Amino acid sequence: MDGSGHPSKEMKKVIAALLALVMMLSLVACGNKDDSQKDPGNGPGTSQNDPSKDNNTPSTGGTIKIAVAAPMTGDNAEYGIGFANAAKLMAKEWNDKGGVDIGGTKYTIVIDEYDDRSDSDEAALIANKIVSDDDVYGVLGHFASGICMVAAPIYQDAGYVNISPTSSHANYSGIGDFIFRNNTVIVVETATGADIAIDYLGKTKVGVLSIDTEWGQSAGKSMEDNIAAKGGTMVLRQEVSVDAVDFATEIANFKSAGAEVIMVAGMYGTLGPLVVAMQNSGFTVPVVGCSNAYTDNMLEYAAQAPDIQIYAPVAFFAGNTDPKIQAYVKAYTDAYGAAPSALTTQAYDSVGIMLTALEKAGKLDRDAMKDAIYDVEYDGMSGFTTFDEIGDAQKVFTKVTIKDGAWALAEG
Amino acid sequence: MVTFLGATINGLVLGMAYALIAVGYSLVFGILRLINFAHGSIYVFGAYMVYLFVSLQVGLFPSILLAILLAGLLALLVDKITLEPLRKKNSMLISDLITTVGVSFIIQNVLSVEKVFGSERKVFPSLNLFSNITIGHITIQSSQIIMFVVALLLLLVLTFIVNKTKIGLSMRATEQNSRAAKLMGINVNFVISFTFFLGGASAAIAGALICGYYQVISPTMGSLIGLKAFAAAVVGGIGILHGSVVGGLVVGVCECLAAQYLGSNVRDPMAFVILIIILIIKPNGLFGKKGITKV
Repeated sequence: MDGSGHPSKEMKKVIAALLALVMMLSLVACGNKDDSQKDPGNGPGTSQNDPSKDNNTPSTGGTIKIAVAAPMTGDNAEYGIGFANAAKLMAKEWNDKGGVDIGGTKYTIVIDEYDDRSDSDEAALIANKIVSDDDVYGVLGHFASGICMVAAPIYQDAGYVNISPTSSHANYSGIGDFIFRNNTVIVVETATGADIAIDYLGKTKVGVLSIDTEWGQSAGKSMEDNIAAKGGTMVLRQEVSVDAVDFATEIANFKSAGAEVIMVAGMYGTLGPLVVAMQNSGFTVPVVGCSNAYTDNMLEYAAQAPDIQIYAPVAFFAGNTDPKIQAYVKAYTDAYGAAPSALTTQAYDSVGIMLTALEKAGKLDRDAMKDAIYDVEYDGMSGFTTFDEIGDAQKVFTKVTIKDGAWALAEG
Repeated sequence: MVTFLGATINGLVLGMAYALIAVGYSLVFGILRLINFAHGSIYVFGAYMVYLFVSLQVGLFPSILLAILLAGLLALLVDKITLEPLRKKNSMLISDLITTVGVSFIIQNVLSVEKVFGSERKVFPSLNLFSNITIGHITIQSSQIIMFVVALLLLLVLTFIVNKTKIGLSMRATEQNSRAAKLMGINVNFVISFTFFLGGASAAIAGALICGYYQVISPTMGSLIGLKAFAAAVVGGIGILHGSVVGGLVVGVCECLAAQYLGSNVRDPMAFVILIIILIIKPNGLFGKKGITKV
């Protein structure tokens, strides 16, 4: 404690400890950093109610099964349970009408749930179990792309139709002709974003801000491509850390580059603070986010940025005034106690697509069912859906904006 | 030139707030020769208290005052509960150090609990209390002006307390030789508590200022900003008040210039790049001298 001691020796100790701690704490920080970046679109429909079981529709031609293979326990359980809930709701609706009409015979639909626990080994086991069941005609699942890609080759080899409502990996649907995804790849989403920025808002000079994750970088790149394809000019691309809250530099740069609209490849945790910073610095051009911006939390930021128009492309909008969608949201909410999310809705539509295709095939034949899916034009809750030759869903995105403190459809 | 000036102004403002956090490290280091790694989490705690009281409709200024008091008390309690017992047993300094790291982790994790504040980013009340000032092409936000002025005033007050008041004299005496100070009738335990309180209070003010500028709050924001402020304290020479101020300004300005000219990804590592460069040239920091009287 003596001031006349050896400060430089002390200093060395301090510095050594400091450097060790810097490393340690930055690890701690990394471990926590993604908290604000939770995938926003997924509803809490975790109730175990089962509306498909409480009906007694007479089965004239026996039953057919649709398997739901997804994480029902563990970290991703809310997604898997959402899939199962959605599948049961869809099955109930068909069963209430008498079931699937296949060549004049009505079949009752039964949903079989399998828990893959988001584990590749478990997923492979389950996939083998499913393909050994002759009554199963379609598989809804799995959740994460990595797990989907383990299970998909098994379904492909056995000739079972597999639709994943969530997989977004570029290579997933290319695994085979029985493998489909009812989820869009980022290119389609950013194309709608560019459409909002250039055609809808009538701007030509677009700034792009992306977060420095793999997703952010690829989404940012695809925004650049789509802006060029729409005939706009990307005046500046800025990349920020996923934790960034200080956007003063980026805003100054966008301003001096003459950006008339900013497209953001980031979650609401980036988009929110950005619009607030733009408002505060008096740079009030419109901002176009991605579909993940469509969350309630975004509204709080928007309330702090009244002069910034905020837009997002979404495949499913629970506040849609379309009576068909309102009826679905009400049915889901009545059954499970919470409004469906975008991903749950894609699962719901996936089951509808499988059943429609089966009916269209006119016979209990998985091969014919697969061929029918490519021809299906399904006007579902998550948009009008068709599949291209690879098996990727082609969806029409809806434009939404924040108006009077709530998400609303963008007119026109 | 406009971008250079703009970035420099942003950096000076931010640097002032860093300085306010950095003095907390310096004060405690001066007295105990201890790096208080819980300081970053006290900063977060202070900001969350402002957030809490404002959401309870207490009003912005009373909320900030309450937050200052509570954060100061928490800093004091951290010392009383975890560090004082260690000092009494004459434990190694490294035990105190790891204790402060642990406390930091505990505080941040308690704040992130869903039922407490949750781990998600939240909107913080704005400190833009009057309209922005535009000079030429440079716009300065009112929250930036408030941040700069308040931080500057507080740093002057802290300097005054340390150099001109009786308690400041006790602090300096304790720093030079705590045993002799005790023999002269100085209540060393009180001095230590007071020092922790001052550090915690200034961290809470920094929290309110920085969050009011960005209008974002998250439970994990303290790790990085705490480390940056610590780097600022070491750059200036830890234990020296005006060193922390200069260190804070150097870190703030370099960070904003780096973001401007080298890209945003370089922003956060910049504080540590400067730290390493300065320490190679001046191992005791800019103002640190061999045998200098600290506090």
